[in-house]
Amino acid sequence: MKPTGRDAPPKDVLLVEDNPGDIRLTREAFRETNASVRLHVAYDGVEAIAFLTLQAPHFDAPRPGLILLDLNLPKMDGREVLAHIKQDVSLSSIPTVILSTSDSDADIAKTYQLRANCYLTKPGKLEEFESLVKAIYDFWLTAVRLP
Amino acid sequence: MKTKSPLSRRARRAPRAAASTNESAESGAKYRGLLEAAPDAMVVVNQAGEIVLLNVQAEKQFGYHRDELLGQKVTNIIPEGFAERLIADDLRSAADALAQQIGTGIELTARRKDGSEFPIEIMLSPLESAEGILVTAAIRDISVRKEAEMHLARMEGRYRGLLEAAPDAMVVVNQGGEIVLLNVQAEKQFGYHRDELLGQKVTNIIPEGFAERLIADRTRSAADALAQKIGTGIELTARRKDGSEFPIEIMLSPLESADGTLVTAAIRDISVRKAAEKHLAQMEGRYRGLLEAAPDAMVVVNQGGEIVLLNVRAERQFGYRRDELLGQQVKNIIPEGFAERLIADDLRSAADALAQQIGTGIELMGRRKFGSEFPIEIMLSPLESAEGILVTAAIRDISVRKAAEEHLAQMEGRYRGLLEAAPDAMVVVNQAGEIVLLNVQAENQFGYRRDELLGQMVKNIIPEGFAERLVADALRSTEDALAQQIGTGIELTALRKDGSEFPIELILSPLESAEGILVTAAIRDITKRREAEANLLEKVDELNRSNVELGQFAYIASHDLQEPLRMVASYTQLLSRRYKGKLDADADEFIAFAVDGASRMQRLIQDLLTYSRVGTKGQELLDTSSEEALGHALINLRGAIEASGALVTHDPLPPVMADETQLTQLFQNLVGNAIKYQSPGIPHVHVSAAKYGAKKWTFSVQDNGLGIDSQYFDRIFGMFQRLHKREEFAGTGIGLAICKKIVERHGGFISVESQLGQGSKFSFALSASGEKS
Repeated sequence: MKPTGRDAPPKDVLLVEDNPGDIRLTREAFRETNASVRLHVAYDGVEAIAFLTLQAPHFDAPRPGLILLDLNLPKMDGREVLAHIKQDVSLSSIPTVILSTSDSDADIAKTYQLRANCYLTKPGKLEEFESLVKAIYDFWLTAVRLP
Repeated sequence: MKTKSPLSRRARRAPRAAASTNESAESGAKYRGLLEAAPDAMVVVNQAGEIVLLNVQAEKQFGYHRDELLGQKVTNIIPEGFAERLIADDLRSAADALAQQIGTGIELTARRKDGSEFPIEIMLSPLESAEGILVTAAIRDISVRKEAEMHLARMEGRYRGLLEAAPDAMVVVNQGGEIVLLNVQAEKQFGYHRDELLGQKVTNIIPEGFAERLIADRTRSAADALAQKIGTGIELTARRKDGSEFPIEIMLSPLESADGTLVTAAIRDISVRKAAEKHLAQMEGRYRGLLEAAPDAMVVVNQGGEIVLLNVRAERQFGYRRDELLGQQVKNIIPEGFAERLIADDLRSAADALAQQIGTGIELMGRRKFGSEFPIEIMLSPLESAEGILVTAAIRDISVRKAAEEHLAQMEGRYRGLLEAAPDAMVVVNQAGEIVLLNVQAENQFGYRRDELLGQMVKNIIPEGFAERLVADALRSTEDALAQQIGTGIELTALRKDGSEFPIELILSPLESAEGILVTAAIRDITKRREAEANLLEKVDELNRSNVELGQFAYIASHDLQEPLRMVASYTQLLSRRYKGKLDADADEFIAFAVDGASRMQRLIQDLLTYSRVGTKGQELLDTSSEEALGHALINLRGAIEASGALVTHDPLPPVMADETQLTQLFQNLVGNAIKYQSPGIPHVHVSAAKYGAKKWTFSVQDNGLGIDSQYFDRIFGMFQRLHKREEFAGTGIGLAICKKIVERHGGFISVESQLGQGSKFSFALSASGEKS
C-alpha cells in the first residue's frame, strides 16, 4: 500500500479542528503513516463550509476525499457543519469522520442521525492516536470505494 | 121562733121519754159503760140544750163535777156552735138539722169551769130515747193539733223561701201525683208557667219513674215506699213543654203537710254531666287500651297516692298480681320520690306540684314484691277523670342503662387519666363541633384556660379543616364521614388565643359516649417538624445541586481536563520518542517523569470518571446472567490473565438483578485485583455464589494472593486508598471504591475476609433474579 500511496497523487483531507495541538498531532500522525495526504485545516465551522463551497478565501479549494470533523468548534459547531454537508447533494458523498474527545452517548447518537460516516474518540495515548489515524487512512482513503 | 120551737118539740116528746123510764134504766146502764170507756169526752144533750149525761173524760176536760153539769145548759161549756145545731128551723126539722151534723168533725171553742177556752172538735150522733132525741157529742181537745197546724203553716212559709232559693228545680208532689208546689227553676227547666203546672200530674214533666215511686202497693205503705227512695239520686228522663227530653237526677224528701205526706223532688239537669261521663267513659276505654299497649309499665295513681289502674307490664315488673296492687299505696312499689310529688304543699297547689313533674324523666328506685330494688325512670302525666286528677306514671326499668352508664363513667374516668397523660394536646369534640373535654397540654398549646375553651366551638382554635370533618352531608353518614378521617394524620393550621398561628398534625379517633359519638383529636404542634422538613428539603435541594455540580465536574474532568492532558501526554511522548538519547541524561529522566505523570493523571481521571458514572450513568437493574458478566470481565482482563498465567475458575453462577455493565466492572475490578496483588507463583482466582436468605445471592472472589491485614479492611474501600508503594503496584486507589459503590447501588454490601499471606476473599450480595433489591 505504501508504494501506491507514494505514486498516486496526494489525497486532499479537510481537518476541521480549532486546537493547534490536535492539528499538529494529526499532521504528525499522517506523516508517521507515510501517506500521501494534503491536509487542509479549517479552524471553525464557518470556515469549513466556506472551504467546501468554494467561498472566500477558498475559491480554488479542492474537493476533499475525507473530512475529519471535531464537534466543539467556534462560530458553528461540528453538528451544524455535518448537517450542512449531508444536506448538500454535491458534498454528501464525502466521507465525514467525527473525531472528538467526547464519548457522550448523546453526541454519538446525534451525529449518526445526521449521517456521519463514523464516530471516533481521540485516544489519550500517542501510539493509539497514531494507529487510529493510520486506520482512517487505510480504510477511508484507500479501501473504500466511493461514487 | 127560735126559742119557741125547741120547747114545742120537747113538749111533744116528753111523754114518750117518761113512758120508757123503766125500760131505759137497763139500757141506760149498758150505755153508761160504753160512754165511760170512750177515749173522748162525751156529753149527751137533749133538745133543750141541757146536758143529761156525761163521762169522766168530760168532767176532766171541762174541770166540772158531774153533778155541776147535769141539767145545765151545754152553752156553759161550749158557748157557740153546738146548741144552735140542735134546733130545727123553718127550713128543716130537728132531725134533719142534726142529720147534717152527724159524723162530721166540727171545730168549736170550749170553755172550762175556770173560764179558760180551748179548741175542740165535736162529733155528733143522735140517740133516740124516751125523752125524745138526745144528741151525743164526742168532744176532742184539739189544742195540740191546732198548735201543730199553725207551726206547720209557719214552716211552709219558710219552706217556700228555701224552695225558691234552691239551685235545683224543686217540685212538690202529693200522693195523688199532682204538683202542689214548684219553684222558678222548675218553671225555667221545664218551660212552663207556674200555673200551668200546679195541680197537674207530675207525669207530664217526668213521664216515668217518679209518680210510680209515690204509690204504695200491697207489700208496703206509702211511707215505706217513699222511705226507700229518700236521699237517693235517681236518674230519670224529663220532658219539657216543647216535648224535648233531657236527663235529670232527682232527690226525694218527704214533707208532712196538712194535706198528707207530700214529696219534695229536687230535680237537676244532668245533660252536661251525662255528656261528660259518656266522653270520659270513651276516653277511659281508649286509655285502657293504650295502657295495656304501652311498652312500659304503667301505673295510674290518685291524689291519695293509691294505685287505681295498672297494666300487665307493671304486674310483671314489680312481681305482683293486679289485685295485689289496686287500691294499694304506690309507695309499696316506689318507696321514695313518687308519692311526694303528688302532694301539694303550702307553696303550691296539687296541679302546680304535678305540672313541675310532667314530662320529666325522674330516676328513682322501684321495689319488687320480694323486696329487690331496681333503678327506674318514670314519666308522669295528668289524667282528668271523674275521680279527680289522676297521675299516670310510665315506669321504665333502666337497670341495663344504669349499668351501661356506670361502665361508661368508669371508662370516662379512665379515659380522663389517659387524656391528661397524653403527650399531645387532646381535645374531645361533639358532633356539633363543640369542645367537651381537653387536657392541660391543650391549654398550654393554645394559650387558653380550660374554662375558656369548654363548650366553645373547635373552630376557634382550628379554624379550618376539623369541624368540617365531623359533619355528615347528603352523601355520607356521620360515621362514614368520621371513618374516613380516623387515624390519619391531617395537617392543619391552629390558632392561639393571642392570634398567632402554628402548624399542627391532627389524629382523630371516635369515642362512643352517652352524648353520642365524640371525636378525640390528638393535636401535635409540628412547627419544629415543619422547620426540620423545610431544612431537609433545603438540604436535599443543596445535595441535588451539588450532585448536579459533581456530574458537571465529572464532565469537565472527562472532557475539558482530558483535552489539555491529552496534549501534555501526547507531546511528552512525542518528545520522548524523537529526542530520547539526543539530549543529556537529565533531559531523558525529566521527560520520562513528565510522560509517567501525564499517563497516571489520565488513569486517575479515567477512574474518577468511572466512579462518578456508577451513580449518574447507571442503567436499570434487570435480570442479568452473572456468569455472562463474569465472562465479559475476563475478556477485558485477558491481557493481564495471559501475562500472569493466572488460573481463573468459577462455579455455575445464578441470574441476578443487576446493571450488566456495572456487574462486569465489579467482576473485572475484583478479579483484576486478585491477579494484580499476587505473591510469587501462579495466581488462582475462584468465583463462587451461595444462596443468602431466600432472595439474595452472595458472590465470592477468592484468591491465593498477598492477603490484607485486617486493620485495613475498612480503609481499602475508601477513595484513593492504597496499601502499596507505587513502585510495587500501580493503581489509583479507586478500584475498590468503585466496587463498593456498584454493590451499594444494587442494594447489597461488600466485605472482605483475609489474612496476610493467606489470600483474600471479597464477598458481595445481590438480589436474586426477579427480586427487587
